[in-house]
Amino acid sequence: MEFKELDPILHSQLRLAVISLLISVKEAEFTFIRDKTNATAGNLSVQINKLKEAGYIEVIKQFKDNYPQTICKITPEGVKAFEVYVKNLQSYLSAK
Amino acid sequence: MQEEQFSGDDSLRLIQSMINKAKNQFSENGHLYLLWGWVVLLCSIAQFVLLYYYQYEKHYLVWMACWGAFIYQAIYLYRREKKKHVKTYTDEIIGYVWIAFVIMMFLFGFLYGRILGEEYYKFISPGFLALYGLPTFLSGIILRFRPLWIGGICCWVLSVIASLINNEYQLLLLGLAVILAWIIPGYILQGRYKKQGALT
Repeated sequence: MEFKELDPILHSQLRLAVISLLISVKEAEFTFIRDKTNATAGNLSVQINKLKEAGYIEVIKQFKDNYPQTICKITPEGVKAFEVYVKNLQSYLSAK
Repeated sequence: MQEEQFSGDDSLRLIQSMINKAKNQFSENGHLYLLWGWVVLLCSIAQFVLLYYYQYEKHYLVWMACWGAFIYQAIYLYRREKKKHVKTYTDEIIGYVWIAFVIMMFLFGFLYGRILGEEYYKFISPGFLALYGLPTFLSGIILRFRPLWIGGICCWVLSVIASLINNEYQLLLLGLAVILAWIIPGYILQGRYKKQGALT
């Protein structure tokens, strides 16, 4: 049986955590993602940028009460990539 | 969370845990259910007392209190939205269900007045009770919260009973409906929300 390679963008602990979180909600603030993943702001920021560059998430930067606010939401490409990742993971685990 | 190589099993566990974290983000604190539950309960009892014991002609004026509650709700929702760090699909759908309900209430109020004229009072309580049932039942189903959807069904049963009894007593059924559909679930939601706050 042949296994499809797991998407390297998603097969990373923090990036997968972010995508799994965003798949369940409409949109989330950076601080919410940071609290739920227990990641440092610096590391999270780097991983969010990678997901953004891959086109998996949309990042909206705006101001709320004079403070900068970063909102993240998953894109249709991100949903598709996540579905493919889970499918490949399932076939890999069921063959184990 | 560290960046490291992790296995397929770890991946699956991580996905499950993150989805659960998002799912357990219970944002309904029951505040608006309690607000409207108490407002409608007090208004219906006040109207019943004015009508039954004092035969006061302008008994319906007690419902003007709803405008105060509307203004309070608008300010409350504006502040709550500003504080939110996450928007879920559940919150959004429930929001639209209640917007549709408010539109239907105004529409029914207008249509009853237009079509039935002075006879409107015969239909207003059974009609509104049937309407109360819809958003309550749907919210209960969407939130997977049994007290709410049972409350919704209670409203529908009470709307049928209301059609069988005198108008002034229908007001008491309105009060009973909001106790079952909004006040009891509202306090349970409030307790659940506070418990969640204590855990996080």
